[in-house]
Amino acid sequence: MFKFGLVHAPLTPFADGRIDYDTYGKVIDFHVCNGAEGLALPMHTGESVSLTAEERKALAEFAIKRAGGRVPVLINVSEASTAIASSLAAHARAVSAAALICSVPYYWTPPQSMLVEHFKAIGQAGGLPLFVLNSPAEFSEVEFASKSVVELLGKLPHFVGLIDMSLDWQYMIEVATVARAARPDFQLVSGNEYMISAGAIGATGMLSPLASISPKLVHELYGLCRAENYRAARAPQEDAAILFRLLRDCGPAGLKAATKAMGRDCGAPRPPLPELLHAAARALAAEISKVVSVKAEPRGWA
Amino acid sequence: MALVLKGVMQSPVTPLKDDFSPDYATFERLVDFHVRTGATAISWPHHKAESHNLAITERKALAEVAIKAVNKRVPISIHVSALALEDTFDLARHAQENGADAIIAITPYFWKYPPEAIYNYFVKLGTSIDLPLIGYNSPSYLDGIEFTGEMTARLIQRLPNFIGMKEASFNSEKFFEILRAALPLRPEFAMIAGVEYLLPSVSLGGAGSYSSAGAICPNLCVELYESCVAGDWERARAAQYKLSELWLLFRDQYPSSLKGGCVIMGRPVGPTRPPLPTASPERVKFIEMRLIELGIVDSEPHGW
Repeated sequence: MFKFGLVHAPLTPFADGRIDYDTYGKVIDFHVCNGAEGLALPMHTGESVSLTAEERKALAEFAIKRAGGRVPVLINVSEASTAIASSLAAHARAVSAAALICSVPYYWTPPQSMLVEHFKAIGQAGGLPLFVLNSPAEFSEVEFASKSVVELLGKLPHFVGLIDMSLDWQYMIEVATVARAARPDFQLVSGNEYMISAGAIGATGMLSPLASISPKLVHELYGLCRAENYRAARAPQEDAAILFRLLRDCGPAGLKAATKAMGRDCGAPRPPLPELLHAAARALAAEISKVVSVKAEPRGWA
Repeated sequence: MALVLKGVMQSPVTPLKDDFSPDYATFERLVDFHVRTGATAISWPHHKAESHNLAITERKALAEVAIKAVNKRVPISIHVSALALEDTFDLARHAQENGADAIIAITPYFWKYPPEAIYNYFVKLGTSIDLPLIGYNSPSYLDGIEFTGEMTARLIQRLPNFIGMKEASFNSEKFFEILRAALPLRPEFAMIAGVEYLLPSVSLGGAGSYSSAGAICPNLCVELYESCVAGDWERARAAQYKLSELWLLFRDQYPSSLKGGCVIMGRPVGPTRPPLPTASPERVKFIEMRLIELGIVDSEPHGW
């Protein structure tokens, strides 16, 4: 069975408006060499929404080849349309992705019964382990309700886990309770770096956007939480929380400014997202450099 | 000011007679039940005690009963939040004059106001009394009005009697922001989860919780807290999952279903005042079925 583990969410570099594959190769290598047990791409921090379906397929193919079996690659197939997401899922399987990630649809707010149908169709088209991504704050407060989780478990054997970005204890515990009762090996995954509370609740995996900046920190945090040593995990959790909050509201532009300051230039984000203005980027880099653990993080592509 | 809060603290419901008047005798028994079954502190009247449905005179009279019933066996705090802040200041004075150990107060209801107004309000409330003050953060019920980490830090620096926070966002980021702002300034500051979500809160550094289900299953509450503190996370998860199912059962029209559950456990506390519904006989039957399924009826005390 596919085990999620510590999965990094790489940035997508652009140059002259196109995906910069030279740099993307370095991005993939950087994550593989710095503690990733898997890669998930393109996530929102990888500007998935700004890529065409064709670009997403090419990106997936490139990343899986470049990873070369060193770590599994999970492909994010989230889309507004069930059919388009399904075609991305089928493609992911054809290029040997390890698993799929899919959120509720963009823009639409269908009833829960249609969300179940959406995931079922995509999961069947892909034929790969499927992780549903729950992120209500990014989707007009639409969440994948716990009763729908149970319903989908009954309809789709490939549905193996849920990645939670809500940080909501009520929801996470509810899902852990009902999903594990239906299927004991169901995986709860933390979709951000608040791993102590998620781990205590029963999350066994972590999806980390901050790994682009602080791969050592997220590795330490994740390891301590998997060992359920939450007291020792509090120091790395503090640094992760500071970074999370510094970067949360500036999206990919913030992450790109921060990684550039760490010697890994991934270019500017794609429109409509603006690049951080010079002064804002400098201020962000200054704030990040105050986080003690960042000093020990790798510079450049090493 | 040496009050340090931790563990599972109970906030009793308000027992009512069939005519909806306060049932003082049952209230005394209920407070006593909580103290005897492991409550590390008592706090009354939280929203589950129908605070908004009680007249200020009733709140004062019942507060006196609660303080006497506890009889200094554990600390007791009085929840002083009211729609009009004049009432809050009045309730706070009353709590102090009648021997309460602390007061607890939420960010003011209904109005939209800038963060600075929250700071000014708590400074005024905290300096109006000598008792320890506990804040109460509930952004989802108050449309996003909330304590931030920064504001909590400023209040700690301004108020020597600001000793803890009831935190009911049930959100890792919000809980941890307040905690990591507070603890370096006041290491004994108590971060108290709003209901018994002890698994995610104690692991993050929280001190304990107020309780939703303590009148139903005190043993399970204590087991959850003790297994979290002991780092027995497997046992803690089992207890937390069960308590989460109970919270989902009781959360709707809180505390109507909770009062319905008390009937099943042999500790009837009467109806719920309108506009909240009283649990119907069918609802009580359903709650009984769930309490049996979850093993509560067999593992928890029956009667007083």
